[in-house]
Amino acid sequence: MKTAKTMVLMPVLLLAGLMGVWKLQHTLDQQRAALSEDRDYVLLSSPKLIKAVSLEYAPLMADFYWTRVVQFYGNKHVRGDANLQQLWPLLDITTTLDPNLIVAYRFGAIFLSQRAPGGAGRPDLAVRLIQRGIKANPDYWRLYEDLGFIYYMDLKDYTKASEAFLEGSKNPKALIWMKVMAAKVAAEGESYETSVFLWNDVYTNTTDPQIKENAKAHLQLIRAQEDCRQLDLLGGEYEKRFGHRPKGVSEFVDAGMLRGIPSDPLGYPYTFGENGKAALNPNSPLLEKQQFFERFQ
Amino acid sequence: MRRAGVVALNTFREAVRDRVLYNLLFFALVMMAASIIAGQISIGIEETVIVTLGLSAISLIGLLIAVFIGVGLVSKEMDKRTLYAVLAKPVRRWEFLVGKFAGLVLTLAVNVSAMGIGLFLAMIYVKPALERGDATVLTAVYFIWLKLALVVALALLFSCFTTPLLAILFTAGIYIVGLYVQELRNMPMQVMSRGMTLFTKWLSYLLPNFENFNIMAMAAHSRQVPGTLVAQNTLYAAIYCAVVLAAAVLVFSRRNLK
Repeated sequence: MKTAKTMVLMPVLLLAGLMGVWKLQHTLDQQRAALSEDRDYVLLSSPKLIKAVSLEYAPLMADFYWTRVVQFYGNKHVRGDANLQQLWPLLDITTTLDPNLIVAYRFGAIFLSQRAPGGAGRPDLAVRLIQRGIKANPDYWRLYEDLGFIYYMDLKDYTKASEAFLEGSKNPKALIWMKVMAAKVAAEGESYETSVFLWNDVYTNTTDPQIKENAKAHLQLIRAQEDCRQLDLLGGEYEKRFGHRPKGVSEFVDAGMLRGIPSDPLGYPYTFGENGKAALNPNSPLLEKQQFFERFQ
Repeated sequence: MRRAGVVALNTFREAVRDRVLYNLLFFALVMMAASIIAGQISIGIEETVIVTLGLSAISLIGLLIAVFIGVGLVSKEMDKRTLYAVLAKPVRRWEFLVGKFAGLVLTLAVNVSAMGIGLFLAMIYVKPALERGDATVLTAVYFIWLKLALVVALALLFSCFTTPLLAILFTAGIYIVGLYVQELRNMPMQVMSRGMTLFTKWLSYLLPNFENFNIMAMAAHSRQVPGTLVAQNTLYAAIYCAVVLAAAVLVFSRRNLK
């Protein structure tokens, strides 16, 4: 009798146990998935502690942390995730572990300063990072260039941008244009030529494809912006001559004001909106990029 | 001294027979993997990671050899009873100890040099043109060897009066403390009493300062090392090794081997 009871009870217990494990595993999976968002990147947030436990291998750990920064940024970028809050702690740890890791300051500042989703939208932290880099590597003039870039592009603080370019130009190894840039930014503030020059410098000097693509998009948009500004001026002249704003760019050609139909860097002709202002063609992929950047302004 | 040389050569031969140099294969694999992977998953550190990973691997592999074989230098001979056969010959105890030390240091020199050359080749592979500062890597490898010699001396000292397990723990402990000597020296007065602060400061100068030999960051960023630092570190390691070996000889000569 006892054996028969056991024979019935055991499979039931086994089944109940397995079901319990199955259910519990589901709960665990959910919990781990929720945890992974925070767990992924920064477990220990004290750079000094990490440096202390790294023993003599701090420079190697810095390389690992820098790789984690790149992976973190890359993953978020691919997913279009604008939440880059953990970027600063990771960079903080990286540069504490190896204060001479120039690449972490230069690229890190770009990741931090760019508006979301291209970056963390924290130019203040980018300035802090670069200033820390300058303190640790005073002979590296390119960091002053980066500082000037952030003040100029992201913070629109042209006085500080000019000061940064000027300070960097004092380095005997600095290229001559740093001094020119300092004077130009101090005199003119934001200008088309300066913006193009700075983005072009990022484009030509970076090896990272994402940053290169970003710089290219900015260069194309700056050119499109300048084209639209010029077309608006031309529209004003057209209005003076014909009493109304042009409805399309072809009217400039018909009026003999332009030889050909002006188009954006991707080859799409500009249009004139109902407000009489020049704009990107609705079919141009650049329009999408423009809206993408403007969304986070 | 000639007899110590014979012991040293035998220790080296024994290490080779024990396949200690097999770690070079592991090192070569690590370097090859790092050269390929670093460029794929990161930005701008292809050259840096080769240096940091290479030097870390040299240091870590060397430390494992120095501690584990260093501790076994005497205890293994005693366990196998070969020590008695050696000491029955006209070999003095100090000659035996110095020979054992020199033999392992020679093994480490061969090991570290081979890994250093491997690292340099990996650097040539990833770097289009070598600069003058890149030679710092060789200095860093030399400093690692000096550090390892000091670790061997400590391991030998501890193995002279305690069990192998405790000797490993003591050596590892001193090594870790030796990496934080600077922190010990800069301990703020508020944390401890004045007497204790003075004591830790005094202690920090007596403990082996392993941070002296760490120029990995300089090597990673191709910064040149002043010649005086090389000379001072060499002298520091030589004096410290001599002192520790003298202590080991003192302990070993009084040890009852019956």
